[in-house]
Amino acid sequence: MSEPAVAVIGVTKIFPVPFQRRSVVALRDLTLRVSPGQIYGLLGPNGSGKSTTLKIILGLVPPTKGRAEIFGKDSNLVASREAVGFLPESPYFHKYLTGEETLRFHGKLGGLRGAALKNRVEELLALVGLTNARKRRLGGYSKGMLQRIGLAQALVHEPALVVLDEPTAGVDPAGAGEIRDLILHLKERGITVLLSSHLLGQVQEICDRVGILANGVLVREGALDDLLGIENQTELVLENASPELLGEIETLASKRGARVLDRRRPRTSLERVFLEATESPREQTRRDTP
Amino acid sequence: MIRPRHRAFSLGRIVAITGNTLTELTRLKVFYVLLLFALVLIGTSIFMAQLTFQQEFQVVKDIALGAMSIFTSLLAVVTTARLLPQEIEDRTIYTILAKPVPRVEYLLGKLLGVLLLLALSIIAMGALFFIVLYLREQTVLYETTRQMSTAPPEQMADALRAVRASAFSAGLLPGIAIIYVKACLLASLTLFVSTFATTTVFTTVVMVFVYFIGHLQGIAREYWLQNNSAGWITKSLLALVALLFPDLQLFNRTDDIIAGNAIPLALFLKTATLGLFYTGFYLLLAWSLFFRKEL
Amino acid sequence: MMRVFVVLISVALFGVAKLPAEHALAKAHRDLHFRDVDFNLGLREQIGQLGFVAALSGFRSLVADGLFIQAHVAWERTEWGRVLLLFRQVTTLQPRVILFWDMAAWHMAWNASTAAINNPAQPRLALRIKAQREYFALGKDFLERGIRNNPERPQLYEALGRLYRDKYIDHEHAAEFFGKGAALPEAPSYLKRFAAYELSQCPGHEREAYDRLHALYASGENERLPTLLRRLKEMEIKLDIPLDQRIPDRLP
Repeated sequence: MSEPAVAVIGVTKIFPVPFQRRSVVALRDLTLRVSPGQIYGLLGPNGSGKSTTLKIILGLVPPTKGRAEIFGKDSNLVASREAVGFLPESPYFHKYLTGEETLRFHGKLGGLRGAALKNRVEELLALVGLTNARKRRLGGYSKGMLQRIGLAQALVHEPALVVLDEPTAGVDPAGAGEIRDLILHLKERGITVLLSSHLLGQVQEICDRVGILANGVLVREGALDDLLGIENQTELVLENASPELLGEIETLASKRGARVLDRRRPRTSLERVFLEATESPREQTRRDTP
Repeated sequence: MIRPRHRAFSLGRIVAITGNTLTELTRLKVFYVLLLFALVLIGTSIFMAQLTFQQEFQVVKDIALGAMSIFTSLLAVVTTARLLPQEIEDRTIYTILAKPVPRVEYLLGKLLGVLLLLALSIIAMGALFFIVLYLREQTVLYETTRQMSTAPPEQMADALRAVRASAFSAGLLPGIAIIYVKACLLASLTLFVSTFATTTVFTTVVMVFVYFIGHLQGIAREYWLQNNSAGWITKSLLALVALLFPDLQLFNRTDDIIAGNAIPLALFLKTATLGLFYTGFYLLLAWSLFFRKEL
Repeated sequence: MMRVFVVLISVALFGVAKLPAEHALAKAHRDLHFRDVDFNLGLREQIGQLGFVAALSGFRSLVADGLFIQAHVAWERTEWGRVLLLFRQVTTLQPRVILFWDMAAWHMAWNASTAAINNPAQPRLALRIKAQREYFALGKDFLERGIRNNPERPQLYEALGRLYRDKYIDHEHAAEFFGKGAALPEAPSYLKRFAAYELSQCPGHEREAYDRLHALYASGENERLPTLLRRLKEMEIKLDIPLDQRIPDRLP
C-alpha cells in the first residue's frame, strides 16, 4: 500500500485551563489515515476537535501524545509543510494587500521566485476566477472571494495535499458551489484534500471518505457509500409512470418476496431553486477557465 | 515543475516576511508620529529664536533628540506589541506557518520589518532635524556677519566659528545611532514579551515598566555591587533588577554629545555592540517560547 | 511552566554575563567625564516628583531645558533668588553643558550684582555693596564648579578670567585663568593675549609680561593689534629696555 497522505497516530491533546487545576481533553487517542488522491471529510459539531486535529497535522499545535505525519514526514518538522497547503477557517489575510500581492507573498514563502512565481500566480488567479479582482485590496473582497483567494494561496507551492478548515462556512450557496467545484477539480489533478465541516449536506456531495468526530473521539469512519447506503433497500425513480404501471410493479415485487416501503414524488432541493433563481448575474467566465 | 529541495534557512523567505511586515506597518499610518515630530521641532525652533543662538541651538538639539528617543522607543514598543496578536486574530499566522517556514524565520522577518521601519523613521527625523538646524545656522551666520561687518576679520572668524560649533556637529550622528540601537533592543524585548502575553495591552504595560526600570537599572546595579551594608532583601531585589533588566541609561548618550563632548569611537562601538547583543538575545528568547507555542 | 522557568534562568544567566560589560561601559562613560548626575533626594525635592521621574527616564536634558527657560523668565522678571535656585538645578542636571554654567555665572555676577548695587529699596550703601559682593561670589562659585566638571574646556576659564578682571579688578587672578584657558587645545587665540594684558597690569610681573607680549609680537603680523603694541611699549618704558631692542613705532 502506498504511503498515506496524512497519518494521525494515537494522538491525544489536552489543553490546560490557566489558573485552574482542570484541563480540557480536545482529542482522545485519535488515529486517522487519508490515502493519496482522496477527498476526506472530517465531520463533527462545533468543538468536537476538528480544528485541533487539522492544526496538529499542520504542526501548528504540538500533540500531548502520539504523532502526526504528512507523506511520512513528522508534522513537527518544517519540511513536512512542503507538501501541504492550508486554508484556515474564515481567513482574513492582510487586508492591505491585493489578491495578487497575497499570492506573491505566499508564493515566496513556498520558495517560488521570479518567472515561476509570476506564472504560478497568473495560473491560480485564473483557476479561482479572481483575475479581474487581482488589483483589489482584500479588504474589499466578499466572503466567497476570500475563500477562493485562500484556496489559491494554499495551492501556490503546488502541494500534494490541501487542508481546508470549514471551506464553505459562511459562504452563500452559489459561492459554496464554486468552492465545491474547485475541490473536485483538485481531485482530478490528483491532489489529496482533507476538509473539515459541520455542514453535512455540502460534504456529502464531494467526499470519498468521511470521519465523524464527537468530543475528541472518532466515532464513525469509512467510505461515504458504505456509511450512507442501506444495504437491503433500493431507490427507483421513474418518469411518466401511470398508476397502473406502479400497481403492477408493486404486485410483481410482492410476488418475488420484496416490499415497496414508500411511494413519493422526488423533490428538487431548495438549494437548487435558490441557485437557479440567482444564477444569472454571477461571474460566468470562471467556469470556462481551465 | 521540479521542486527545489526544502532549505532549512532561507533569506528569501525572511525578506518576504520582512517586506510584508513593513508594508503592514506603513499602512498603519504610524508615520503620523513623524508629522508630530516635525511640529515639535519647528515649533521649538520658532519659539526658541528669542534666546541667544547658543541657547537656541542647545534647546533645539535637546528637544529634537529627546523627541527622537521617545518617538522611536514608542514606535518600537507599540508596533511590535501588536504584531503577533494581530496576525493570530487575522489568522494570517496560520497560512504563513502552514507553509514550509521555520518559526525562527517568521520571528526574524517580523522583527526585521519593525527594525526597518524604525530605521526609516529615525532617518526621516534625523534629516528633518538637520535641515531645521542648518537653516537656523545659516540665518544666525548671516545675522552675525551683518552685525560684525565692521569688526576685524579675526574676530569675525572667531564669532562665525562659535556659531558653527554650537550648531551642527558630526558627533550627533553616533548619538542618533545609539538611539536607534536602543529602539532595536526595545523592539526585540517587546517581541519576546508578546510571545507569552495574551493581549497587546499587557505587552505594552509590561514594556512601560521595563522602560522605567531599565533606566534605573544602572543605579540599582552600582548600589548592589558597591554597597555592603544593605539588608539581604534589599540586596536580592537590587540583584534581581540588575540581572533581569537591561541598562537603558547606557544608551542615552546624546546629552553629553550635545554638550560638545564627542563620544570616542571605541566606546560607541562597545555600546552599540552591547545593544545588538541584547537584541539578539531577546530574539533568541522569543524564539524559545514561540518554537512550540500553540497557535 | 517548565519553559517559563528555563527562560527566567537564561535571562538571569545572561544578566550575569552582561553585568561586567555593562559595569565597564558605565565606568568608561563616567571616566570620560560623561558624568551621570548624582541623583539624590535633594535634587528630587528641588525639581518635583514628575521632573525627577522624567530626569531618571532619560529626559534629563529636557527637564534641564524646561528649568533653564523658567530661569530665563525669572531673569526677565528680575527674581534673582529664583534665577539662582533654577540655575543650581539646571547645572546639577546637566553639568556638562558649558552654556548653563556660563549663563548662571553671568546672571549672578553681572546682572544680579548690578541690580543689587542699584537697589532702591536698600538705602545703605554698605549693605548694597555687600549684596553686590555676594553675587560676585555666587558667579565665581558657578564658574569654579563648572570648571571642576569640565576641566578640558576653555570657555569657563575665560569667563572666570573676565569675572576677576571686570568685577574683582584682580589682574593677577584674571591673568592666571586666561592663561589656564589659553593652554587648552580648544582655546581661541585671543586668550593668550588677554593673559598677557592682565599680567602687564600686575606690579612685579613686568618682566614676565614683557616677555610674553614680545613673544606674541614676534609670532607675526596677526598678533600686532593696537592694545598689544600699546602694552608692549608701556612695558618697554617700565623695564627701560635699550632703544635698539624696542619695537619700531608705527608710522604716523
